[in-house]
Amino acid sequence: MLSTETIYFVLFTTGLAVGFGHCIGMCGPIVVSLSLSLKGRSVLVPHLLYNGGRITTYGLLGGVMGATGSFTRVVASIVSLQKGVMIFTGILIVVMGLAMAGWVPLGAIFGDYYNPQGVLSRGFRKLSEARSTGTYYPLGMLLGLLPCGPVYTALLAAARAGMETQSTLEGLLIGVGLMLSFGLGTVVALLLIAKLADLGWLKRRDVIYKISSVLMVIVGVYFVIRAFRY
Amino acid sequence: MQANVKVRLFAAVFTLIMLPVCPTSSSGKSEPPGVECDVHAGPCRAHISGTKVSLDIEPKPVKAMHDLTFTVTFEGEKPVAAPYIDLGMPGMNMGRNRVILKPAGELIYRGEGVIVRCPSGRRTWKAKVTVPDVGSVEFVFDVIY
Repeated sequence: MLSTETIYFVLFTTGLAVGFGHCIGMCGPIVVSLSLSLKGRSVLVPHLLYNGGRITTYGLLGGVMGATGSFTRVVASIVSLQKGVMIFTGILIVVMGLAMAGWVPLGAIFGDYYNPQGVLSRGFRKLSEARSTGTYYPLGMLLGLLPCGPVYTALLAAARAGMETQSTLEGLLIGVGLMLSFGLGTVVALLLIAKLADLGWLKRRDVIYKISSVLMVIVGVYFVIRAFRY
Repeated sequence: MQANVKVRLFAAVFTLIMLPVCPTSSSGKSEPPGVECDVHAGPCRAHISGTKVSLDIEPKPVKAMHDLTFTVTFEGEKPVAAPYIDLGMPGMNMGRNRVILKPAGELIYRGEGVIVRCPSGRRTWKAKVTVPDVGSVEFVFDVIY
């Protein structure tokens, strides 16, 4: 049996390792879409907030796993929510792709084309404007619920660690700590992808944005299809 | 940096994110082939250093995201130490998911575990049974989602 300190380290290094494989596949499209939608503005703060939100959700889930000591029961209770988040993510990526290329005005997508102050238009605009950078944190929290194999494995470790504790509070704290360790490990790869997808240094970006938009729509649709098959 | 180099760099990034989330082939090139078996039909059987070993998973059919009981049974000599099982997907790092086995009889070891689900829909998993200081064997099987 591993000591608690060793488990923290194992989960951090697991996060690092899967970050460059699994997370790029799962969160990569989201991270690239967010970077592209910033259109040359600084990506660091929004992506730190996005990752902070994602890790917060991991920590909360880890706390629940650690406190209850049960992986399967907790996951069974959030599976519908996860499916919803997958569908939301797919639609978000499609919308960002369409809006980025300027093919479809945001208002037309949300059905309030003649009302640029409409709730949905304003909501999406806030997401893509620098002044509402803080939006990336709750967005990260929401997307932290996306189903993911390695996240499940880490949550399983949190539940197991919780089972071995003497009290619910201890289990909760260990669960939170373990998932924060795992989440921190995954940040490196996603920040790197965010920076690589930042096209601020390109002088002629229009063609790239158009190509990227098509890819984003394809990836978004793929997310939605995968959600319905999940 | 030349403009075309930058474009290539960007293309590489996008190619990277278009990679499937989970492995597309059932076996990684660098990994030794596992013993394929139908875990829903009965125990999987193989040898570790000449000793017959069987792995059974209950309840059947074996479903991901469910509490499962893993039983490893030896025929002949008792192992020098308790075995353990590492669960994973062939060709993809899914994180450390180890099932600790405890003695449940003279030559029987049992433990609880969960096979997690990959959102890509791929169902092929592997269970690597290791006897410390002796050797290991990998069983490859499909699970139900």
